[in-house]
Amino acid sequence: MKKNNIEGWLFVSPLVIWISLIILVPIYIAFELSLFNVKIIGTSGKFVGIDNYIKLFGKSKFLNASLNSFYWIIGNAICQTFFAFTIALTINYKFPGKKIMANWIILSFIIPTVVVVVIWKLMLSSSSGVINSVLIDIGLLDEATGFFSSPNKAFISLVLINSWRWSPFLALIILSGLNSINREMYDASKVDGANFVQQFLFITFPNLKSVLFVLGLVGTLLSFNIFDIIWLITKGGPSSATTTLPLLIYETAFTKFRISQAATLSIVTSFLLLLFSIIFIKSMAPKEDD
Amino acid sequence: MIKENNIKFLFLSLSLLLIILIFFFPFFWIITSSFKSPEEIIATSTTIIPRSFTLEHYNKILFNSDFFIYLKNSLIVSFSSMVISIILSVSAAYGLHKLKFYGNKFVEYSLLVTYAFPGVILLVPIYLLFAKVNLLNSYFALIIVNVLFATPFAVWMLKAFFKLIPNEIEEAAYIDGASRYVVISKIIVPLAAPGIASVSIFCFIISWTEYLFASILISGDDLKTLPVGLAGIVGQYQIDWGFLLSGAVLASLPVILLFVFIGKYFVSGLTEGAVK
Repeated sequence: MKKNNIEGWLFVSPLVIWISLIILVPIYIAFELSLFNVKIIGTSGKFVGIDNYIKLFGKSKFLNASLNSFYWIIGNAICQTFFAFTIALTINYKFPGKKIMANWIILSFIIPTVVVVVIWKLMLSSSSGVINSVLIDIGLLDEATGFFSSPNKAFISLVLINSWRWSPFLALIILSGLNSINREMYDASKVDGANFVQQFLFITFPNLKSVLFVLGLVGTLLSFNIFDIIWLITKGGPSSATTTLPLLIYETAFTKFRISQAATLSIVTSFLLLLFSIIFIKSMAPKEDD
Repeated sequence: MIKENNIKFLFLSLSLLLIILIFFFPFFWIITSSFKSPEEIIATSTTIIPRSFTLEHYNKILFNSDFFIYLKNSLIVSFSSMVISIILSVSAAYGLHKLKFYGNKFVEYSLLVTYAFPGVILLVPIYLLFAKVNLLNSYFALIIVNVLFATPFAVWMLKAFFKLIPNEIEEAAYIDGASRYVVISKIIVPLAAPGIASVSIFCFIISWTEYLFASILISGDDLKTLPVGLAGIVGQYQIDWGFLLSGAVLASLPVILLFVFIGKYFVSGLTEGAVK
């Protein structure tokens, strides 16, 4: 196809300008702030150079939050891959009610996050939650447990809640990949005697490459960014066990009023995410076929 | 063959049961609970079938709270964000996928990255920037941010629908002397209508559910959105569960209603087009 340089840019430029302005100007402001020691919003601080950056790397809070973010991404990736593939492969079969289920499975994604929080706070409540009473009834628990009371339990519960919200959406995107696979490949492999595990490994999975690329990239960054579910349920506790980098930034800026430190954190975090994205795209981007 | 089919059937029933239990039961639970008496909601012994029925929580939230103010704010912000997002992303998607130009791939990948990039990283500087230009406490502050969150993925979704439209149709129109504007408004937009509908829902949902920026950029009670209003109740020391649950159900209702009418476009848009 012939190139339409000027016209092409004309069509994309309104959006590109909108997005660049709202990302680049704030990043510039954050960078400037990170070189000063401003505390409360609106006050001015004195120039400290790269002091904030040096201090940051010595802080145990920063290391703790980075590790938590790392575990958060890994935990969510595992859970969401499992749930999303289970949903996608199930819906891909024919069964009565398939259409209704395919349409409504995404309910957990379209409701506000705050509602997700309300649902799971009620279901997992230690005094009157339905999950506790069911677990006691079937003999898995002796007495009601607090799902957010210990560091490990809180972390795992939050990963599961967040996966509950996102998996159906990811499942539909995987389903789009499944739909694009040529049916004849399955029929041919059946003739050759392949069972459905082999079909999944050698036909389904390789054909999902471009979908999995997008999910791997966007999914990782989106998981990293999760703030409201964690903040509204545990506020980062108990004892900072669920404080990921986004929560640390928020806390530093809006509860501790260390604006410059929060800006430094933002800059370092953006840099880490950018690095991850570039490496991921360079090494995993599928070749264009068309 | 029969044996393999049996195993398949077993797997299918088992995963269907799990999916219903995990992804649908919670909705049944909060909806029925929102009609239970306060005593039953917090009772330690739980039964699946409700024992009481009351409308007191809905009465309280509808006639004795700021619900309608929050609802109005959420509707204004989400609807405006959706309209602006659609205009910008249809134009960008057309440029990216119908007109090849220098820097095409770079823009496409950058958009994908920005989809996930913003969030909390931009929170502090955007707050300061908006404070400087007097945008805090305005609908527009939220609209600017929501468009930023919605459009990158919207462009990616639209790509699929635009690719389904054969170039020959467009070329034939140009030969007949149609201008670019006519081609877009009379051919591209109508043919991609289901896609545009599903992208619209996506943009609406993104704005409707946004909490973080709405909680920081808006401080006046009269401009708060539904998620922020609800979160205020979640944060209270003594949670009034009935009040909170009926609020949660009502806050979900508009997106669910929207989904009843155009949800099938959204799902088929996601499942049939996205990678072709």
